[in-house]
Amino acid sequence: MAGLSISSVTKRFGDTEVLKGVTLDVADAEFVSLVGPSGCGKSTLLRIIAGLEDPTSGDIAIDGKGVTGTRAADRNLSMVFQSYALYPHLTVAENIAVPLRMRALTATQRLPLIGPFLPGAKEQRTEIALAVQKAADMLEIGALLDRKPGQLSGGQRQRVALGRALVREPAAFLLDEPLSNLDAKLRVQTRAEIAQLHRRLNATFIYVTHDQVEAMTMSDRIAVMMGGEILQCDAPSVIYEDPNDIRVAEFIGSPKINILPIEFANGELTLFGHVLGHANEAAQSGIYQLGLRPEALKLTQSEPVMTGTVAHMENLGSEVYAQVALADQTSRVTLRAAPAERHNLRLGAEVGLVFDLQDGLIFDADGTRQRRIEVAVTHVKEVA
Amino acid sequence: MAAIDASAAARAPREVNRQARTAWGLATPALALMFLILLVPVVVAGVLSFTNYSLGNSGFDWVGFKNYDRLFSRSTYEKMFIATFTYVAVVVPVSVALGLGAALLVNSLGRIGDVYKTIYFLPVMATLLAMAIVWEFMLHPTIGVINQTLELSCGTFLEVIPFLGNGCADGFPLWLGDRDYAIWVLCFIGIWQGFGFNMVLYLAGLTAVHRELYHAAEMDGAKSAWERFRLVTWPALGPTTVFVVTISCIRAFQVFDTVEAFWPQGGGPNKSTYVMMFAIFEKGVQQNLIGIGSAITMLFLVFVMFLTLIQRWLVERKVHY
Repeated sequence: MAGLSISSVTKRFGDTEVLKGVTLDVADAEFVSLVGPSGCGKSTLLRIIAGLEDPTSGDIAIDGKGVTGTRAADRNLSMVFQSYALYPHLTVAENIAVPLRMRALTATQRLPLIGPFLPGAKEQRTEIALAVQKAADMLEIGALLDRKPGQLSGGQRQRVALGRALVREPAAFLLDEPLSNLDAKLRVQTRAEIAQLHRRLNATFIYVTHDQVEAMTMSDRIAVMMGGEILQCDAPSVIYEDPNDIRVAEFIGSPKINILPIEFANGELTLFGHVLGHANEAAQSGIYQLGLRPEALKLTQSEPVMTGTVAHMENLGSEVYAQVALADQTSRVTLRAAPAERHNLRLGAEVGLVFDLQDGLIFDADGTRQRRIEVAVTHVKEVA
Repeated sequence: MAAIDASAAARAPREVNRQARTAWGLATPALALMFLILLVPVVVAGVLSFTNYSLGNSGFDWVGFKNYDRLFSRSTYEKMFIATFTYVAVVVPVSVALGLGAALLVNSLGRIGDVYKTIYFLPVMATLLAMAIVWEFMLHPTIGVINQTLELSCGTFLEVIPFLGNGCADGFPLWLGDRDYAIWVLCFIGIWQGFGFNMVLYLAGLTAVHRELYHAAEMDGAKSAWERFRLVTWPALGPTTVFVVTISCIRAFQVFDTVEAFWPQGGGPNKSTYVMMFAIFEKGVQQNLIGIGSAITMLFLVFVMFLTLIQRWLVERKVHY
């Protein structure tokens, strides 16, 4: 097991720049998710770490040793592919044994017919069989060892692919959207199992996904990628509560964060003409963007900051999401309400909304977080 | 409940009968055609192989197994079997291996691969009869381009190679006229003509190999091209290989036009290239000995049938996952 470091890696395919200088350090035994929309370069980055793709520039180091020029087979990494990539002609046991056979047995020992009778081959083969059995037991696929991949369900194939990855002790596990071919229920279950596996093996995991829920639930740290760059790499709670960039705030969180235009002028912060607070600090006047998570918005009967009509409702049982079309505005905001408040929310009902500015995230027009203004504004309000 | 069940039970057989009648009705044209153009001729050939019938004769005599007895006792037919099996045993493995090799090489190339694809496939498209005439010119003992090229080596250090040394001293082979060389020339032309077809079949098979499997093999530690071939490519090409081998075998058994073009009078020097198809043609058509021709045909059918059965068995058991 080992840590990994990626320094200013770029990758071009012809004229297209897929990665624009990515730097990331992964500690030993850490679970890092690379998350981002399709085409953001996360899979390319993983394949560069694996050695299946060469970076245009930049370096990869595993456990402090540079491996940029080393071929994939010599990097001692395990990978689980999106399509599982199981060998269709081999049984489950043989599939799991492949990485061990390729490394532990010599080319002649692997030969059919005569291979098993060569000196040393028998002991090696027994050891491999034991390791396969151990991996299969860990993933509860012991009963499937004699089957071919074609006879397995999607979830079972996924386990075999995991088994093939963990049968030896690699420096790190690379997982490329391993859950995307599973149905929703199985995905939730396997998600928990992979997280448990990570704790049990205490190994370094790099996990690529476009699903923010997977990233949030499993990772120690999330690296949010967009347009070939890592926008932010932090713990899930930090990424959710304290994003540096509006794109991170918008990508993480479901339903999406509400973005409202606010104006800062003459020491006053206004939303749709409604003064939210004052700031004595000489912050730059101008138009900013206010990000409000659905749970930051609250229903109110008196002194609402915004009013609107309920345009759409989603009742999830434990909570209710309502989309409110704001009065005089074309924008909609989503709010999360407790089931107890459901009687106030009917389609078409007039509702008043209020929020605490402390829960809001302020970004400038380019999407960069403006913590200075947040601090100044809330401070003034508390004093007032 | 019971009443409904009874009526349903009564209706069921009628329904089944009606469906069965429709099914037979729909299958009849195909069955009739198969019967007329496949089974009847085979049965007729089978019957005739026990007679001494000649085309034009009003009657024939039953001769029992005499025709078959001849096939296994006369030296002419022994040569026929030797020539046929030599041809099949050489042409099939070599053309399959070359086809696979060429497909792998062409597949690894980019755009230039298309050029090679065309070059290798040209002999397949060309009329073998016309090509045979070209080969005949090239193989001519004195004015042919092959022997003239070989003669260039005379007087150089290349003479240390026994074949060239002997050739310079005693003259180069007559090729088509030499009973030691004729069958190998025939095999060579068969391979040259056939492997492009196998290459195209293998190329089609290669497109079906999942790219990610190669990456998985690399991650699993398969470092050499040979290991990746063993682990990914070769198993994936299993179904293609069975098909290619079967097709190559049947085509090899059917070799005829080269022999007819080179040696229209009787199957090569000392009957060394007297292959089965040519024997059928010579006996059954040229000499109008329908009985013996039919007997060879039956044997030919047995071989091809045997090959097809092996293919079916392999396809069902081994190569599909």
